Amino acid sequence: MTQTDRPPQAQEPVVELRDIRHGFEGVQALRGVGFAVAAGEVVGLIGENGAGKSTLVKILTGVLQPDEGTLLLHGEEVRFANPRAARHAGIAAMYQEPLIFPDLSVAENIFVGRQPSRSGFVDWSEMRDEARALLQRLGIELDPGTPARDLSVAERQLVEIAKALSLGARIVLLDEPTAVLSAREVDRLLEIVRRLREQGITLIYITHRLDEVMQVTDRVVVLRDGEKVADVRTAETSIRELVRVMVGQELAALEQRRREAKPGDDVVLAVHGLTRYGYFEDVSFQVRRGEIVGVFGLVGAGRTEVAQALFGIDPIDAGEILLDGRPFVPRSPRHAIRSGVAYLPENRLLNGLVAQLSIRLNMTMTIWQLLARLGIVRERPVDRAVDDLAGRVRLQRGSRRRAASTLSGGNQQKVVLSKWLATHPKVLILDEPTHGIDVGAKADVLRIVLEHATAGVAVVVISSELEEIQDLSDRILVMRAGRVSGEFVTPVEKDDVLHAAYGLQQRVAAGGAG
Amino acid sequence: MSLVRHALRWEVGLTVLGLTLFAYMSLASSDFVTSFTLQSLALNATVIGFLALGVAPVIVSGDIDISIAAMLGLCTIVMAEVWQAGVNIWVAALVAVVLGCVLGLANGIFVVLLELPSLAITLGSMGAYTGIAFLILGGSAITSFPSSLITLGSGLAGNAVPWSTLVLLAVAAVLAFLLHRTTFGRAVFAIGSNKQASRFSGLAVVRTKLLVFVISGFMSGVAAIFYAGYFNTAQGGLGAEDLLPAITVVILGGVSAYGGTGTIPGVVLALFVLGVLQTGLGVLGFSGQEQTIAVGLTLILALAVSAAARAVRARFAASAARAPA
Amino acid sequence: MTSLRDRVDSLLASLARAPELGLISILVALTVYAAAALPAFRTTGNADQILSNSTIIAILALAETLVLLTRQIDLSVGAELGLCAYLVGSALGHVGGGPPVAILMALGLGAVLGLGNALLVDLVRMPAIIATLATLSIYGGLQVVVTHGSQLYAYQLPHWLTTLYATKWGPLPAFACVALVLVVVLTAGVQMTRWGRDLYAMGSNPEAAGVTGLPVRRRTYEAFVACGALSGFAGLLYAAQYGNVDATAGNGIELTAIAAAVIGGVSLFGGSGTPAGAALGALLLIEIENILAIEKISIFAQELLQGLAIVASVAVYALVRRYSQRVGARRRRLQAAGPLSGAAVVEPAEAHP
Repeated sequence: MTQTDRPPQAQEPVVELRDIRHGFEGVQALRGVGFAVAAGEVVGLIGENGAGKSTLVKILTGVLQPDEGTLLLHGEEVRFANPRAARHAGIAAMYQEPLIFPDLSVAENIFVGRQPSRSGFVDWSEMRDEARALLQRLGIELDPGTPARDLSVAERQLVEIAKALSLGARIVLLDEPTAVLSAREVDRLLEIVRRLREQGITLIYITHRLDEVMQVTDRVVVLRDGEKVADVRTAETSIRELVRVMVGQELAALEQRRREAKPGDDVVLAVHGLTRYGYFEDVSFQVRRGEIVGVFGLVGAGRTEVAQALFGIDPIDAGEILLDGRPFVPRSPRHAIRSGVAYLPENRLLNGLVAQLSIRLNMTMTIWQLLARLGIVRERPVDRAVDDLAGRVRLQRGSRRRAASTLSGGNQQKVVLSKWLATHPKVLILDEPTHGIDVGAKADVLRIVLEHATAGVAVVVISSELEEIQDLSDRILVMRAGRVSGEFVTPVEKDDVLHAAYGLQQRVAAGGAG
Repeated sequence: MSLVRHALRWEVGLTVLGLTLFAYMSLASSDFVTSFTLQSLALNATVIGFLALGVAPVIVSGDIDISIAAMLGLCTIVMAEVWQAGVNIWVAALVAVVLGCVLGLANGIFVVLLELPSLAITLGSMGAYTGIAFLILGGSAITSFPSSLITLGSGLAGNAVPWSTLVLLAVAAVLAFLLHRTTFGRAVFAIGSNKQASRFSGLAVVRTKLLVFVISGFMSGVAAIFYAGYFNTAQGGLGAEDLLPAITVVILGGVSAYGGTGTIPGVVLALFVLGVLQTGLGVLGFSGQEQTIAVGLTLILALAVSAAARAVRARFAASAARAPA
Repeated sequence: MTSLRDRVDSLLASLARAPELGLISILVALTVYAAAALPAFRTTGNADQILSNSTIIAILALAETLVLLTRQIDLSVGAELGLCAYLVGSALGHVGGGPPVAILMALGLGAVLGLGNALLVDLVRMPAIIATLATLSIYGGLQVVVTHGSQLYAYQLPHWLTTLYATKWGPLPAFACVALVLVVVLTAGVQMTRWGRDLYAMGSNPEAAGVTGLPVRRRTYEAFVACGALSGFAGLLYAAQYGNVDATAGNGIELTAIAAAVIGGVSLFGGSGTPAGAALGALLLIEIENILAIEKISIFAQELLQGLAIVASVAVYALVRRYSQRVGARRRRLQAAGPLSGAAVVEPAEAHP
């Protein structure tokens, strides 16, 4: 997919950063970053975690003031004392999890704090009409009267964009917007980005998803360790090239890490006709000892729901599960863990980590009972377990008694992962395990998955990153609308997988069922 | 736990506050450091102490129970009625404790099993339990409990320390062990901090939270025994005035209103501070209501100090923080 | 052709969005039943009594609603009522004064007390429940201190005040008219102005409200001050209704007020509920009380029934909302995975089931 080549609208850049420097005691987050964005341009901002992206976003949105350097808007120097000033200047930011007001309608969410009013009272019909017009202009199909509580994450993001526009934003920063979206929702969002560009809005797109960057941006700016290391036109670069610049090492290294050991023959997990009305239907698959099965599909396809049903979080209406050949009816996560199933949830902060608790307690949460005697805690076994696990996941050094919230995203994920490794599971289900973490931590997580598969654990990896799934899995399962729509043995054509995910008819019956 | 550091700071502050107040009161009035006064201090603190110990784990687990005083009332009245019907007082006392557990369990069923907000439910059960208590007793009162009960509730061990204080401290020690040294206790903290993640990690959330409400009811039942033993009377509406002090003691003790942090020793220290404050003011001639004002002000002061400390620490940390990725 | 299930689902959905509908039905049903079954209920005098007696609770419930909407709570409204009742009453007794003066005094004093709450929540950063717990103690204690062990007597109050309770303005008791006016004013102010919508937003998502740039701090002050003012006003009416005001005036009434609001559909989590609902909740509570009194059921049963009413209404509201959310989510899920529109594919998209 290529994006149309657009000539810059005006000579003068609409946003320009010059030699921005910013540090927090001891650490320089930005060391003289500078680049310019023309009006109506879509610029991708990429870089590893810690490269300085979010600091830059905070400076642009007025949350932080840079220690040194200048920020120019339409050629004039500006300094945002607070987020409000940035908003007034026409800069809006949209984050992964949009903040909406669940009890208010879509229209009210858009106009919160500045509803159209007539003689002091809110003019509801005017507000509805304006909201409808705005949504239509963006190509968003939403009823303005819907309570925001009923919206999906993707829809909430769209509302937030509409809100930003109605506030007169001319520069929109999208901070990792697609990490929680399905492929279809991503396409919808990218379409909206294109529409915004057509209307002259300038966009800065911050993401880890390089394929999206290639799809929708005009230029790409790469940050590494607080410096700008590349500023290229998208048409003149490639994903491989970008990764090289970002990380300094080839991506191919990961591909080479295919395991030597082949999966065993005995089936550890067998699922037959699993059904939960309204969520998934007639799901059947098998995972053998030491095998890695990747599960691909759109959000709403039911992958997480199947995983949560296998783990005892949600009920099952029909079908059966066999663990090592024996019937398994998961009653609760506790029961599932005891039976040898482990599940790394999708949302780390919500379901994975207890932020206030210490790192060591988070890491051993699943085995507290085991490490204790008659319910009374013993510290030494806990410390031993923690040391062992920390070594295995290569957790960053430091006191393990600090609160888990003090760790970076990648290390937090390692903490959550080690909690599951501690249970010595027979079946390890990972839901988007490399979500929103830096490349280094990603590599560690994938390495651990491979190690465990080699050791005989049956692994299921739910992922929306097709490249990753292809590299990692022995087989790929595709789900669509609650059903299994395809099953492939790797290596498999990317198109075949995508067709199965979207429910499009196969061009040629190659490599899999529909 | 990583929270140990935070807790220690709070308890240190409490101890300092308590000792300072004690010193001040001793200097301000010669009547303060008499055995009579100190014993009254301890005796008066007993009922509130049990209530506070009971509700503290609930708050740590992320909920609240404002029916504790109503449960106290109902348990005392039932115990009195049962005794008056001819049953041995200690059997009646056992009934009170068991009833407390049942009442707590009822709260737990609505909050935990039906997943309803605890403030609203315990607001309702508070009314319900108080109402039932009134229905049972009407407007009358039961008094003149047997001397064995009175001895427990008002008597002194070795002519020095009240029995009730010894029991309170023993129970506090057991509860502290339960909350800080067992997997159950760790689960309570984890659940108070992040219930969803705790559930996903295989912690027995439902069982733990139900148990926490049962403990609250249990403590109310125990408090009932000591209420009868000290005040020697049971009538409708009793104990209602103890709700505020109990919650105050818990918050003053360092338990966060949002759950996830706090210690039992902190609650005990706060009980001591409050006792010194109220008894001391009483000795100095302040009325009961004026003492209550002082209690309110102390609560405000404690939280103001902690807020200020947090702000100061945050300002230092802001410059020390690394740039988030 | 909608199935029965769909119809039930949509009924529950509208019930979830407007719990007042359920409340009104219950109120109407109860009134009809009582009127049919109890002759003593049917009299105008009794109706007047119900309306008048529910006024103070209703006003406190209105006050409480302002704070509850922002996901906070005010436990000190009873103490505010009592303190204002006594102070304003004695002031009127000493200095004399007509309604305007009295109202201003009550509102002003109440506002000051409410300001105390706001300061604690904002400057000291106390959670509202703890802050108002503290002020409940303090204001309650002050109440005792200012009364000096005595009380205010009816004969000390101005004549227009003591006769207010019994007065009727047209078909309705004066008290009820006052309550009605306040309901209308607050409904307009809370549901139809930006100011009020800010309160809903604050309660619906406090974090987003701050980020969005809503004047959260200012609204917090305004909510608590307005709540205090209304409580003070209720105190004035308290003096009018009871004549005698002692140190325990208003003790415990805050819980009845919160109960009324909760029964009226105001969520303790903020963001939903209406002033009218809160007032209706108060009306329902007092009507139940009235029926019980007529039936000569022990007055002690009232507290029990109030408690049960709270538990029942919270349970019903929550379960209805939960169910309708689940149904909506399920429907959305089944619709979500459809073919991509405008995709550059060669083959036509598979038909959507």
